[in-house]
Amino acid sequence: MRKQYFAGVDIGSTMTKVVIMDQEVIASVIGATGPEHRKLANRVMEEALAKAGLPFDDITYVVATGYGRINVPFADKQITEISCHAKGVAYFLPEVRTVVDIGGQDSKGIKLKDGRAVDFVMNDKCAAGTGRFLEVTAEGLGVKLEDMGKLSLTAKNAVRIANTCTVFATQEVVSKLAEGAALADVIAGLHEAIAARIYSMVGRLKVEREVALTGGGAKNIGLVRALEAKLGYKVLVPPEPLLTGAIGAALMGRDIVKEAEEKGTTLVRAERRLTEATFFT
Amino acid sequence: MPEKAVVKGLAAAERLYQDYGVRARELKKQGQKILGYLCAFVPLEIVTAAGFMPFRIKGDVNEPITKADTEMETIVCPLVRSCFDMALKGNYDFLEGIVIPHACDSICRTYDVWKYTLNLPYAHFINMPHTTGDSSLDFYRDILNTFRTSLGRFAGKEISDQELARAVELHNRQRAKVRELYELRKASPPLISGEEVARVLIAAISIPVAESIELLGDVIEEVGQRGSTPAPKKARIMVIGAQVDSIAFIKLIEDSGAWVVADDLCPGAREFMSSVDLTADPIEGIAERYLRKVKCGRTYREMKGNYEEDLEDRFGHMRQMIDDFKVDGVVLYIYKYCDPFGFEVPQIKSYIEAKGTPVLYLEDEYSMSTIGRLRTRVQAFLEMLG
Repeated sequence: MRKQYFAGVDIGSTMTKVVIMDQEVIASVIGATGPEHRKLANRVMEEALAKAGLPFDDITYVVATGYGRINVPFADKQITEISCHAKGVAYFLPEVRTVVDIGGQDSKGIKLKDGRAVDFVMNDKCAAGTGRFLEVTAEGLGVKLEDMGKLSLTAKNAVRIANTCTVFATQEVVSKLAEGAALADVIAGLHEAIAARIYSMVGRLKVEREVALTGGGAKNIGLVRALEAKLGYKVLVPPEPLLTGAIGAALMGRDIVKEAEEKGTTLVRAERRLTEATFFT
Repeated sequence: MPEKAVVKGLAAAERLYQDYGVRARELKKQGQKILGYLCAFVPLEIVTAAGFMPFRIKGDVNEPITKADTEMETIVCPLVRSCFDMALKGNYDFLEGIVIPHACDSICRTYDVWKYTLNLPYAHFINMPHTTGDSSLDFYRDILNTFRTSLGRFAGKEISDQELARAVELHNRQRAKVRELYELRKASPPLISGEEVARVLIAAISIPVAESIELLGDVIEEVGQRGSTPAPKKARIMVIGAQVDSIAFIKLIEDSGAWVVADDLCPGAREFMSSVDLTADPIEGIAERYLRKVKCGRTYREMKGNYEEDLEDRFGHMRQMIDDFKVDGVVLYIYKYCDPFGFEVPQIKSYIEAKGTPVLYLEDEYSMSTIGRLRTRVQAFLEMLG
């Protein structure tokens, strides 16, 4: 039998992620989504195929996910990021019952049972509680986003940030600094604020252990610690927290193909051609 | 109407839906007097008995609220503001008057704004009680008679018991037709889509009751001829919410790969599933129906026994519908700032989930701008039902 490969394409609001898998991940690409993401999916896919050393025709099934999932013309199926994150996390960390995903412009909590999503909450309307909150405040502080987490760990006395609104919090930060607060203390306060916001959102799901953290937020050590402080226990972070959605998507594709083979049904597949989405023409 | 002869059933519903109020405008030219109303708690039998055509005022999810915001603060729910915005923009300029019930605070506390801004020849406020006890019923009967006298005076006549009884019979026939339509949704696959049902019912609340009975009959006949076609199995969804006066949300669910087969909505099951009993004094039956039979979050039903029995009394009809229409999942679709439904969300959700049916709770803003956000949630929910 011909060897099977599965691709997962996760177009998030900020980052685009592609993985190609056989039994495990053989190639992955992470790129910024940017405003031109309708044109980008094919380029990132091309890059991933080059890394894997495979022609596109060898890919058995392609699943697109993330908020840009409808703009992937070469995907065989679109599945929401909720189901894909659940699948991806269950693959790496089967003991996980609750997933907290902190993305660039949204955040969500997903409840898992037997490796599947059974309930979820989502915030994709307000920047508070998402990566965007840190991005904006980091800019206001003149600190690189990737340094925020580490800096927050050096805080001696975290400053309380009362505003949940990103715009108002930025102003509050400026006034705290003017009052003489240390930069690290302010940054720690920001992490606590975002953690509190996320904690209250996922609280609606009745959080159960183990808890996994995914998305760009999981790469920020300060945020991980702040959430752990809220929860009162350690959280788990998968090996590459940005890729769980794309990996979940590829695994979903594998399941779909397997089921079709068992049932003897034919799968409808998109053309294996890398073209830009012609969404508006 | 020569045009009416050719356009029937679903095609007629489409026309009435797309150009909401088109029939009212035609009839106004022929001298028909039309009364606009908000919500399911205006006793339409009295309006019909007085010789007026009741016309339900609706909003428009596609139209940004611009004019209404100068008269109503954003604390008023977006649905009511959108309704008012449409009225200010002249969409309902065929109305002779308005009747507004104490449905919820957003509707009650904007009555004066409606009355003085639109300045129509007739405006009446129905002080509908919020509890279902006997003293409320006594009070409500008086309120209904006050309305009867007031509207009669405006019409220049006295509304007789016979006229009321005839109106009750007419409205009951309309309700029975809607129930007949709903029967077609029980099949698998349903003979009529949720989107079609929504379109037909929205059309029906914009035309005279007698014409709506004809429309519903034509649709039932048309759909009945389709026969059942085998289709791949899809999840059967019930939508619960306040007034959903656009097909957009129902269509979103069906486009995501499900059938909407049941609802507790306006226009929908909430207002068409219960009829008025024809009593010696017709006001008796009307009072009983609007106060006790129409189950809506705006009416507080007093505790009857323990908590479980109380929940059964408040939401038992939803569970009944879930069973009768073989519902796989429920979408609880609530507008922001909707206090009557907002209060009930946790109880409805836990009650239905406890009976084994998954619930997706969505808060929306009564605007098409949110459709993308809703789509991801609906799709994820359907994937879970898988």
